Amino acid sequence: MKGFIAFFNKEVRELGRTGRLLLLGILGVIFGIMNPAIAKLTPWLMEQMADTLQGSGLTVTAYTVTAADSWTQFFKNSPMGLIILLILFSGAFTNEYVKGTLVPLLTKGLSRSGMAAAKTAMILGAWSGFYWLTFGITYAYTAYYWDNSVVRHLAFAVFGYWLMGVFLFCVMIFVSSFAASSGQVLAVTGCVYGVMVLLGLWEKLAKYLPTRLADSAALLTDAAQPADAFPAVAVTAATSLALLLLSFPLTAKRKL
Amino acid sequence: MDILKLRNVAKRFGSKEVLRSVSLTVPEHCVFGFVGRNGAGKTTAMKCVLGLLRPDGGEMEVCGERVTYGGTRTNRFVGYLPDVPEFYGYMTAQEYMTLCGRVTGMKSAAIRERTAELLELVGLKDERHRIGGYSRGMKQRLGIAQALINRPRLLICDEPTSALDPVGRREILDILAAAKQQTSVLFSTHILTDVERICDHVAFLEGGKIAVEGTIDEIKGLRGDTGVEILPEHPADLARLREAFPDAVLRDGKLVAANASGETARALLRFLVEQEIPVLRFERQEPTLEDLFMEVVGQ
Repeated sequence: MKGFIAFFNKEVRELGRTGRLLLLGILGVIFGIMNPAIAKLTPWLMEQMADTLQGSGLTVTAYTVTAADSWTQFFKNSPMGLIILLILFSGAFTNEYVKGTLVPLLTKGLSRSGMAAAKTAMILGAWSGFYWLTFGITYAYTAYYWDNSVVRHLAFAVFGYWLMGVFLFCVMIFVSSFAASSGQVLAVTGCVYGVMVLLGLWEKLAKYLPTRLADSAALLTDAAQPADAFPAVAVTAATSLALLLLSFPLTAKRKL
Repeated sequence: MDILKLRNVAKRFGSKEVLRSVSLTVPEHCVFGFVGRNGAGKTTAMKCVLGLLRPDGGEMEVCGERVTYGGTRTNRFVGYLPDVPEFYGYMTAQEYMTLCGRVTGMKSAAIRERTAELLELVGLKDERHRIGGYSRGMKQRLGIAQALINRPRLLICDEPTSALDPVGRREILDILAAAKQQTSVLFSTHILTDVERICDHVAFLEGGKIAVEGTIDEIKGLRGDTGVEILPEHPADLARLREAFPDAVLRDGKLVAANASGETARALLRFLVEQEIPVLRFERQEPTLEDLFMEVVGQ
């Protein structure tokens, strides 16, 4: 536990000193503002492009923006945020293995599981902080301009995407326990996501997959119910936990 | 009590047998020189002791406790300085020492006290810059300080002087010699003058085994005979000397009697006096570790 606390403090200091915390904060604010801003600007953009669109045979009619447009933007832009964070933290473990910065601390009695737990806490904390900051800002602006209550099952949809993010970070942490470089970590994590998308084409399996949680459109319009996604929530949570638990013994036996 | 014991430790990487059967014992409060060529397996042996590599055979004990692979408990007795120590560049030396102290479970007051003491010892007390801007020598010095923070009973240093300039080397050797008061030091190197300067014990690793081990005096004693060199004032006298001592050879205007016993040296002196041969220099050469090392590695 002592090792965990000491190493977690080091991780937080690293986030701050290397400028990542600032970057995450700025990105969180930009993403948060961008979602309602794009929704708000949509009618104006349509108007600007009306003449061009008319030329190509499309007629633009008056369009009323609601809170749903703002949240549609939120779920459209969140993958970009998730990818940036995955890239940012892909070397969290492997860079230390490659450079050898862990060796002085591990030979001093820092347990490998304490180290891995501290890094896991930092990564999941950074993802949660970034995601909920983006959510908070989008929520506040959307509430200011429109009415959030027209959107159905918002809390569940937002939770679902966060959980899918947690799953991908758990995949990344698991891969980090044996991969040689951050490039490998990213490649394998990307492959896992790709395989899930492909498996999702098989309808019977789709409702159990973590990728199911990213599908928010149906929820927001009440076309789907949260209960439909419960199997996916259970599978995602259980798989994430299993990946983390598996990564500890692998990290403990990793050659340094 | 012996601080470190290795018995028949073996390690291979694929088909390459790096350590065949390494056995050695490091006593308390000594500086133990672990000598070998580049690639002889010094780092491999040290990493096995630290639980960073799994040996294929043999046993290792630190302070009487068995070493196990991966997160070994015996590391609480050990401080380690890797050959190229890498730290977090965004921290200052003070902050890094605090991290090391916390990891080992020291109390805050003890960490502060020990950090001040050790940074003073290694000459980094007034350094306020971040480690990212440190020279190699400064990193080595910080490496020794961090390795000593929890008062380890065994300090393992992997070639701490190899990449340093003469000033940096001297500083590190002085620090290691001073550290002997607090701990035993196992120190790998291929620089034999460093060994002669600070070590009291030495072991030569060659062909995956300890070829020779003992105190510096014992090791030097293995080659009891010393060489004698005579430089006569008149080169013409060389021929007379050579005639009287046919085992000696002529080299660069000098008579060189390699492996001369005390008796031979006395006979040479007697001959010079009796024949009234004036000399510019009469020199007995002490056996050096280098001679012995060359012999061990078969050069």
